[in-house]
Amino acid sequence: MIPSRFCTFQKPLPYPEAVSLQEALVSARITDRIPDTFLLLEHPPVITLGRRGRRRYLLADASTLKQYGIAVEPSTRGGDVTYHGPGQWVLYPIVKLSRNELGAHGYLHALESVALKTASAFGVESYRREGKAGAWCDQGKFAAVGFKFTRWVTSHGVSLNVSPDLKAFDLIVGCGLVGESVSSFEDILGRKNCPTMPEVAHRIQEVTSEVFQRELDLCSPDELLV
Amino acid sequence: MNVPEDLKYAESHEWVRLEDGLCRVGITEFAQSQLADLTFVDLPEVGSTVTSGEEVAVVESVKAASDIYAPVSGDVVEINDSLSDSPEQINEDSFGEGWLFVIRPHKMEELDALLTAEAYRALLPEE
Repeated sequence: MIPSRFCTFQKPLPYPEAVSLQEALVSARITDRIPDTFLLLEHPPVITLGRRGRRRYLLADASTLKQYGIAVEPSTRGGDVTYHGPGQWVLYPIVKLSRNELGAHGYLHALESVALKTASAFGVESYRREGKAGAWCDQGKFAAVGFKFTRWVTSHGVSLNVSPDLKAFDLIVGCGLVGESVSSFEDILGRKNCPTMPEVAHRIQEVTSEVFQRELDLCSPDELLV
Repeated sequence: MNVPEDLKYAESHEWVRLEDGLCRVGITEFAQSQLADLTFVDLPEVGSTVTSGEEVAVVESVKAASDIYAPVSGDVVEINDSLSDSPEQINEDSFGEGWLFVIRPHKMEELDALLTAEAYRALLPEE
């Protein structure tokens, strides 16, 4: 097992700050100044547009977004448009893929595995769908994937809906998939049976260690770039 | 994995073909195979000046974006416009129709720092 760091943020991190932090970590990882590092965090409400920037998948106008208190930010990750907000965990692995791990297919599979195994731990039946990246259940997609390689160091990653306000997803066509619905653990299990965010965070950490075959040292946000 | 002998390579998986003092650049068959089916390409502007090692283009497959680096410093004199409509050419013919851009190099000696086919092949995982 390769030693790596896992950092869970206790409060939501604004999207632009998360992007700057990832850029700094990617540079440090490329030059081996830091080990592989996994960030687990929530964002304040934000709609992000992938580089293809398909604004046509953004259904709401500026005043509606303001009313909802939702920012719109460009993103360098792959993929189209998505929503992030409280009640959704986002896992950003900053990992240098080894020669044997290289490849978008394998990495996409690993991110999906983290979501599927986490869901399974809470009794949510989920699966992959051919040609539609992410993790799905009968009610819709509950985990979305979008990432970037910079000299084979990864950034961005996977978002997993625990109990976000699903109405926010009505403002977009998630990942440009027309006619597909979005779900969450709360939507599937009901409010009473839905696990808490810390419970899900703990499980994501265990599953990440298993899927990526890495031993995880816990680390706090202020230790990341030291 | 095909690694043509007559090209030079960067460690970041770009290839360079020297043509009458100009450098035609693309990504290798290995790189395209790792990125899977490409759906989007963002190329530099013709007339822009690039520095070796600088991020100058982006290719995207369904969920993955990846930077492309300039293998040599110089001026971009031509880009492969047809890729905006059919980026899959990179997957289908990475060393031919799927070329990305052409650079007029500032320093020809930078080409000497690039890898030979043999040295590049040694970087690839064993098949």
